[in-house]
Amino acid sequence: MAAHDTIVTTASKPIEPLMSVEDLAVSFDNGSGPRIQAVAGVSMSVYPRQTLAVVGESGCGKSVTAMSSMQLIPRPPGRFDAGRIMFECRNLLELPEREMLKVRGGKIAMIFQEPMTSLNPVYTIGDQIMEAVLLHQAVSPDEAARIAIKAMADVGIRDPESRMRAYPHQFSGGMRQRVMIAMALACRPDLLLADEPTTALDVTIQKQILELLRGLQHSTGMGMMLITHNLGVVAENADVVCCMYAGRVVEYAPVTELFDRPLHPYTRGLFRCIPGLSELRNRLVTVEEVVADPREYQGLRSEAGPVVPWWPFMDQSQRPALDDPSKPYALVEVSPNRWVGCWRTPEVARNPSRPPRIAPA
Amino acid sequence: MRGIGAQEAKGFWADAWDRVRRRPGAMLGMAWIAVMGFFAVFAPLMANAHPIRLERLGPDGQVLSVEWPLFAYLSPTDWLLMIATAFGVPWVFLGSGRLGRAGRIGVLVGLSMQAGATIVLAALLVWAAEGAGIESLERLTRLDAGPWPLVLASAVLVAVLAMAVPIAAPLVRRIGPILGAAALGFALSWLAGGQSLVNHEQVILDEAAGKVRATWTLIPWSSQYTRSDMVGIPPGTRVADWEKTASFKGTPFGERRVLLGTDAIGGDVLGQMLWACRLSISIGLVSTGISVVLGVTIGALMGFFGGWVDLLLYRVVEIFMSVPTLFVLIVAAGVLPRNTYVMMAIIGFFSWTGAARFTRAEFLKLRKMDFVQAAQAAGLPVRAVLFRHMLPNGITPVLVDASFAIAAAITIEATLSFLGLGPDGQASWGKLLSSATAATGTFVWWLAVFPGLAIFLSVLSYNMLGEAMRDAIDPKLRKAAH
Amino acid sequence: MATYLLRRLLLMIPTVLGITLMVFLLVALAPGGIGAGLAVQGGQMSDTSKVAQMQAYLEDRYGLNDNVLVQYARWLGRVSPLKFGTTPLVAPTGDLVREPRDLPEPVMMWAFPAPAAFLVQYTPPSGEALVEDFKRLQRDAEGTRRTYVGSVRGMKDALADHVRALGAPWISRLEPKGGADPERFRDLPLEGDAPTLIKLRAAAATMHVAWSDAEAARQRATIAFLARPYPAAGFEIVPNAFSLGAPDFGVAFSRNRPVWDLIATALPVTILINFIAFPIIYLVAVPTGVLASVRRGGAFDVISGLMFLLLYSVPVVLTGVFAIGFLANNQYLGWFPVSGLHDSAAATMTFMPYTDVAGTWHRGWLLDMVWHLALPVLCLVYAGFAVLSKQTRAAMLENFSSDYVRTARAKGVPSRDVIISHVLRNSLLPLITMFVGIFPAMLGGSVVVERIFTIPGMGSLVIEAINLRDRELILANTFMISSVSLLALLLADILYALCDPRVAYD
Repeated sequence: MAAHDTIVTTASKPIEPLMSVEDLAVSFDNGSGPRIQAVAGVSMSVYPRQTLAVVGESGCGKSVTAMSSMQLIPRPPGRFDAGRIMFECRNLLELPEREMLKVRGGKIAMIFQEPMTSLNPVYTIGDQIMEAVLLHQAVSPDEAARIAIKAMADVGIRDPESRMRAYPHQFSGGMRQRVMIAMALACRPDLLLADEPTTALDVTIQKQILELLRGLQHSTGMGMMLITHNLGVVAENADVVCCMYAGRVVEYAPVTELFDRPLHPYTRGLFRCIPGLSELRNRLVTVEEVVADPREYQGLRSEAGPVVPWWPFMDQSQRPALDDPSKPYALVEVSPNRWVGCWRTPEVARNPSRPPRIAPA
Repeated sequence: MRGIGAQEAKGFWADAWDRVRRRPGAMLGMAWIAVMGFFAVFAPLMANAHPIRLERLGPDGQVLSVEWPLFAYLSPTDWLLMIATAFGVPWVFLGSGRLGRAGRIGVLVGLSMQAGATIVLAALLVWAAEGAGIESLERLTRLDAGPWPLVLASAVLVAVLAMAVPIAAPLVRRIGPILGAAALGFALSWLAGGQSLVNHEQVILDEAAGKVRATWTLIPWSSQYTRSDMVGIPPGTRVADWEKTASFKGTPFGERRVLLGTDAIGGDVLGQMLWACRLSISIGLVSTGISVVLGVTIGALMGFFGGWVDLLLYRVVEIFMSVPTLFVLIVAAGVLPRNTYVMMAIIGFFSWTGAARFTRAEFLKLRKMDFVQAAQAAGLPVRAVLFRHMLPNGITPVLVDASFAIAAAITIEATLSFLGLGPDGQASWGKLLSSATAATGTFVWWLAVFPGLAIFLSVLSYNMLGEAMRDAIDPKLRKAAH
Repeated sequence: MATYLLRRLLLMIPTVLGITLMVFLLVALAPGGIGAGLAVQGGQMSDTSKVAQMQAYLEDRYGLNDNVLVQYARWLGRVSPLKFGTTPLVAPTGDLVREPRDLPEPVMMWAFPAPAAFLVQYTPPSGEALVEDFKRLQRDAEGTRRTYVGSVRGMKDALADHVRALGAPWISRLEPKGGADPERFRDLPLEGDAPTLIKLRAAAATMHVAWSDAEAARQRATIAFLARPYPAAGFEIVPNAFSLGAPDFGVAFSRNRPVWDLIATALPVTILINFIAFPIIYLVAVPTGVLASVRRGGAFDVISGLMFLLLYSVPVVLTGVFAIGFLANNQYLGWFPVSGLHDSAAATMTFMPYTDVAGTWHRGWLLDMVWHLALPVLCLVYAGFAVLSKQTRAAMLENFSSDYVRTARAKGVPSRDVIISHVLRNSLLPLITMFVGIFPAMLGGSVVVERIFTIPGMGSLVIEAINLRDRELILANTFMISSVSLLALLLADILYALCDPRVAYD
């Protein structure tokens, strides 16, 4: 409970983020073609007890960011081009494998999207939870079994003693995801990376799993990075939202403010294509229609002056003059605790914003 | 919305072909297969004990008469193979026009098959009319010209069948080539002799005595010509330098060299090896063709209909799978007549299960796919769904596997011939190999090394090609490569 | 699991039946038919009519005159452990003795009516006297039957001679080969005193006498048989109607020995070679495949892949010839023996190697066998390397990119443990399945290897059987090879069930 103690003792000082991603860039070798830039300068941060939701469409780089912080990106073909991920004052990207093994599962845990295939089919549930416990805690196998049973009970698996000896194929999808969560939380991590934990599950199970995660987060005080593309999940669970597109952050804000007043055209597009119950519309507005509309890009101001939201498919004629064509993008704090991805004009370059950090109130 | 880093799409087969072309092993393999194919087609012109031109000389050296024994000897199939290769291959590679290269290959193969079918059918009719037994089936390739009405009837029949083949091209455009192929088949069947009119021994003796003047082929030995006084000559020896045939010193025959030596019954190794290309290539292609057609048909039936059809046929597949194929092949080859057609048939018949399993698996997958269900929902007949929508998608793994199947068939042919169960009266690499360790206990290295190398290179070539194609086409491996 | 096993064992029966029927039909449809091997033996005799009678006797003895399917059914009846009909007896020599068979009908009964049926009166003695009596009666029945069958053949020949003497139009009904089929000449006039006709009548008289003798002898032998001179074979459930017994593979025509004796010496050799070869294949191929997959695209991966592909492309016969020629032949290296399973002096060897008082080293029986088996096993294993290591590599790669490996890595499992306890553990499953594909091929390959190295296993036996057209031997070989193959596959299935918790056999 190291993280918890820190919070209590340092409550008066401005608390530091649990993990902060700073200007991360990751690319992949494409065999014949040019390298694929999966993440191109992403910044975000998670505080203890805080839930950071990372949203965006498939392939926008959310999972790559999370996987990078665990060094789970296969290298090659993957490569860290720039940036760092700070965790406990250490850059996770440069941590040697031996140190990384202690972080993975021990300090940072991760749960994945596909509960059906994320458990090894040939080992029992108990074996797989205990494997994590034995790796990170100096306990005897009996003790590890007790911890595993407790973890399974915590995630609401009934009769955990006998279920320990069951194999994954004997569990339903929702139950398997509970097992995954139990496995992740058995070692009391400080940070949980939840990569679309509910996408493959049906709606009622989704709700149960998310409530479970929220409850566990409350009782353990860990930080959570919730990767999803479901805005409903975001609204109910997140404290801070980081919206990504094409390997970059387009908007970063507290959840209520973002939902009240999205600033980037892409974010607006996302919200506008959600059909509301109260309004009558002939047809839904698509994201394309919103981002293709030049008017959407006008009227945004930062402390340094007017800024234009960044968008990769914006017409060349409408783009503002850039400070450096090789660095077209910057994350600008347009108002306190509101960041928007903008074109890096000379003014923006002269007045760099602070990295996105939204400490819990 | 466009994706970032999207690339121009290329056709599936073009893309696969590009990947194959980038593998040097596959290209070397294809080069060797081409060389082997060349030998297979032109072996009768390259290695033959029949002189090309034979001049009978009078006592004063004046030319009494001129004969062309080689051309009388060439059979209709020899002619067809050579004509199709000599004219068709340059046309495929250099020709232009609306047909692509693949289209030209299709036309060439189709027309050759039509002419070939005419020849085989004519021979079969003559054979049936003679009431000969299965033992003489081998003669189909070396048959005397039949009576012309029979030949004409088979040419017409095959041409009509060729017109009925359901392909997209309109009949008007096809009719000319089809009639041409029918005429070619008729002419070859009727005119070409396939006869051996000269006595080799006599020609050699007469040549030594100055009674004839003969022009020989590049390698003046055939696969069938053996001499008991020339057993076990080492490679590169001049005939006159060999103790038992030293009496030929100073004659044209004595000056010949046995480039790769002779075998245990005094036959030339190089001549036999060139002719053996025919056996290997034809058995590889035909038996694989049989197994692919059989396997795809049965696999498609199983995959498409499922239910009890699948249950029943899959039992048959399991029977074939769980039994040592080579063992059954040995038994079959042992008890059935030793001839090429029987061997092609049994190899094909006992090796179709791989293709059937691949096709079944693909069809089971495809059957649930949206485009197939859409085709069915659109009311297309079963035939159209099967052949137009499912087959082109489901056949890829079978085609890739066919390369390995050809390699396996070549190995099986060599093995059976080695065991003495190969076609009678045909030169074969395996047969040569088996004479390397003769009953006498001595080991004749050139009988092991040269045919062995030929078998190895051929099998390796097809395996390399198959490997490259599998890597190029297998989407799973392709995904894993990134 | 037990139900599953039982079901699998039962499913093996149609498979074995299917394959033996197929082979039986192949043998039967081959030119010369099933009796082709016998014809060769008969050909050694000079007198053509003697040859024909010998042929007729052999055809009768092995039941070659019947329909192919009848012959197959008879073979099946003998091989089946469930036996219907009269229970066979076991002679003290261990041979099975069956009830004397019914005689074939006399021919041309419309022209020369069959002699009246009769029943002999014979009361078998008991005890030792019965055994003696039975042996004598058995010989007697055999001999008279042989004479009778020969006389039937003689009758057909006489008919053929007569038809030939008559000339057209009758002669056109003769078959091109062999004697006349009497059924075709039902309407042949038999009046007159042509010399050939007189001979035909004489042949008919001979046949009738022979039939009476043979029938009498058969009846006596049957009565003696039913009095049970020897104990019954197997386990009788309903006496002389239904019993359980060991499969009887019959007697090999070519060697005149029970087929089972031949197989009992040959099968262990084949199984031994295969069971030495298998661990070698797995021990070489699996680690190579694992290493290749871990360093995918690296030098080891590329080189091992290429080398195995090269090896895979070398036919067994080629390796065999090269091994014999260069490694075993004294012209070249001469390091290994050329043929056989043992040295000729193997019988006198001690089991383990030892050094005698004079300081000479003796290799002993075991090492002698290893020395003899080295080359055959080498020929058998190398082709499997490529297949198995490629499969291992593919399975490993597939599992490397699987979700549960990502989970394990996210848990902080060190990469060596990930490879061994997660990736390899899951990749073992397809490797077990691979056994299903490799084993039948290996059995087939060992046939060839045994032939090349003259090892007295199933391979040598089957090739001999094929060359001699020995029906019993071919069928029994096929039966045993398929059964061994099927049992091995069953073993693989059981192993799979033990390794994969997802498989439930209920």
